[in-house]
Amino acid sequence: MIKEKIQLYLPENVNVDYHDNLAIFEVSSSQIGDVVNDLHNQKKLPLKLVTVTDERKENGSFKIWYLFGVPGDNFFMCPFVVLKNTIEFPSLANIVPEILNYERKIQTFFGLKALGIPDNRALILHENYPSDVFPLRKDFEWKTKLKKSTGKYDFQEVKGEGIYEIPVGPIHAGIIEPGHFRFSMVGESIVQLEPRLGYVHKGSEKLFEVLPLEDKVRLSEKISGDSSFSHSLAFCQTIEKLAEINVTKRALYLRTIFAELERLANHFGDIGAIMMDTGFSFGGANGSRLREMIMQINEKLTGSRFLRRVNTIGGVKKDLNNDNKDYLNKILIDISKDFEEVVEIAENSASVLNRLKGTGIISFEIANNLGLVGVAGRAVGIKRDTRIDHPYAAYLEVSMGQIPIEEEGDVNARFQIRLKEIRKSLNIIQESLQKMPDGEIAISNNVNLIMKKSSYDVSMVEGWRGEIVYFVATDSQGNISRVFPRDPSFINWSALGEAGLNNIVPDFPLINKSFNLSYTGNDL
Amino acid sequence: MLVFIWIIQLIFIPFFSPLCIGIIRKIKAKLQNRQGANIFQPYRDLWKLLHKDEVISSDASWIFKFTPYIIFAVTLVVGLSVPLFLPRIVGFVTSDILFIVYALAISTFFMALAGMDTGSAFGGFGSSREMTIAALAEGGFIFSLLTMALIAGSSNLFTIAGLTRSIDSQSFLPAILAFGGFFIILLAETSRFPFDNPATHLELTMVHEAMILECSGKRLALMEWAASNKLLIFMSLGANLFFPFGLDLNVGLGTIVLGMFYFLIKIFLFCVVVALLESSIAKFRFFRLPDLLLVSFIFNVVAIGLIK
Repeated sequence: MIKEKIQLYLPENVNVDYHDNLAIFEVSSSQIGDVVNDLHNQKKLPLKLVTVTDERKENGSFKIWYLFGVPGDNFFMCPFVVLKNTIEFPSLANIVPEILNYERKIQTFFGLKALGIPDNRALILHENYPSDVFPLRKDFEWKTKLKKSTGKYDFQEVKGEGIYEIPVGPIHAGIIEPGHFRFSMVGESIVQLEPRLGYVHKGSEKLFEVLPLEDKVRLSEKISGDSSFSHSLAFCQTIEKLAEINVTKRALYLRTIFAELERLANHFGDIGAIMMDTGFSFGGANGSRLREMIMQINEKLTGSRFLRRVNTIGGVKKDLNNDNKDYLNKILIDISKDFEEVVEIAENSASVLNRLKGTGIISFEIANNLGLVGVAGRAVGIKRDTRIDHPYAAYLEVSMGQIPIEEEGDVNARFQIRLKEIRKSLNIIQESLQKMPDGEIAISNNVNLIMKKSSYDVSMVEGWRGEIVYFVATDSQGNISRVFPRDPSFINWSALGEAGLNNIVPDFPLINKSFNLSYTGNDL
Repeated sequence: MLVFIWIIQLIFIPFFSPLCIGIIRKIKAKLQNRQGANIFQPYRDLWKLLHKDEVISSDASWIFKFTPYIIFAVTLVVGLSVPLFLPRIVGFVTSDILFIVYALAISTFFMALAGMDTGSAFGGFGSSREMTIAALAEGGFIFSLLTMALIAGSSNLFTIAGLTRSIDSQSFLPAILAFGGFFIILLAETSRFPFDNPATHLELTMVHEAMILECSGKRLALMEWAASNKLLIFMSLGANLFFPFGLDLNVGLGTIVLGMFYFLIKIFLFCVVVALLESSIAKFRFFRLPDLLLVSFIFNVVAIGLIK
């Protein structure tokens, strides 16, 4: 079936390889621009990620992958370029703007050269990192101790009378992750804002290549702590596809329930934090309270507040017995009532709404160019939700209804999207609890995991921020040779500068909170 | 007896001001379903800070080093000069409304200078914001006191407090309007909602806190203490100029104790109002603040116009 539908999108004269629901085909360096332009700009397929695999040992080449998702039909297409005896490839940032950061990352980590790239600065790795060491190449030993290097990072400068800069961070006053923000200001208004990240770079991508399989699952939980479950789910799903494991129905439902609990906890926390940042302490306190209730449910059900060690390859480790099901059902009804009361008070507060409305606006055009995903994307009207576009777990079997969208693209829109998704999540959990069949929750431990050799696969999960994409490649022995986890933050960080533009500095923390992006998910 | 009263006047404000902060925080915590810290916590914080070492930027000049002392001294002098529990100590020059307004303006001036002195970006915009607010608040502040001075026919605060006890019904409306204007100024000058968020950790939104961000140890303690003194001074002005209940013209031990009792109740009510306000609204967007200060000014102009 895929083979018929894919003809709609394929360029002429290509050999397509099918890996599950992923169709890959080689395109020459000179044509990749046209192919990507056709898929993205003409046929409107959303770009999911761009990455590189180092296959010099096997066939003497680097491969650059451009992954596109076909929404609704649940398959992916991935044209790739083979770089043999060269490290140069054409930059496509002028065709699809969101590719820029991927290319900067590829230049920094693989030492390949994107010809014609508009921004040549290193991404994530800082000046203290030697610029001639490329850590994701296969010949880089992960335990190598590097010499300290020095250099200067050129921030984008705005010149003119009365313009001054405010450097903020990387250490902040609140308990948040480190990141540097450079504001160029006229009076109180922001004329330019440039985030600089990379302070929490941990070499996760390299670690994925060396750790044993069970530890890889644990590593995926740590990619972004607040999305532990979604990240490990996306990773496990990819491995399950590569090893051709069928997960039991009950496990699929449990995954749905846990994934929605994670979304609830984070959305509750966020609506509280947004209200707190406007100074509305009542709303702030109640948001934290609701979040804490979910965290305690998580702990009671699974033993982990962040739902860690729940996912495993082939299913889940924690089951819900009937008592727990009743408990969950009952407490969610209470939480739902509580939540509606808080929302009513917040929405009747003119001073809160005044701060939220019209603050941090992103236009649809910019959002589309940057490929905004998740909550931030839906807040400008980009109608995408992995749970519907590429259904996984049990999302096909519960009623998902319409994807909630807003048009305005301001802080209030992102706030409203969260409110709508909370209501939806509560319904999904309750419906899943009803429909969940009996049965095993995981494949038995004795099954030997054998992964397809020299294969590639991708899997997507709608984390609470947006889509989490995992790209996994195996080598000729069937071992995992490359994992690229793409957190939604990697995409959405590029929009923060745009959202801050022309706002006043005292509103920036509020704008930042309405995105609530992950630093570690970006820095990997 | 007079010396005794002067001494009480002098220590009263610095002694009770941290308690006000503690009470406001406690009420706010309760309104947020939190337990909250003990109401005496601000005293412990001051004690802790006074025993800490200081870090002073090598770029700091004498302004940064002296400002905490200047500001604290100003709040002591002003605290001594406002009527607290007796309306009887008259004729002292520091009790003139103009002296009060401009002594406080001097402390704001030095605070803003100290904020910029170390050259940190946060101090700079903190000072810039503070001066924006202070410049616009000054008009409302003067006019609200002037309204009461015109009603009482004297610019001495003690005389005003003594006479407003018996104002006639015609002066009632201007007094109420002036209080409305004064209350907005109280919130602005003491860095409370909706002007500033004293509880925030977000550097970019701060006003008062941004200016004292570089202070540490004893100087931070003095800055914090002076800020709470200022809050209590403004609340006493509000309590005794506009609601002079319990102020007895006769000086005696009984009237002093009774005056103090009434005074503390009034201050407590002010704390409750401030805490309620801070729990029920969001902070205003910075560029809406001038509107609010203008409202205060208009209230007071109308009040003066209404005085017969």
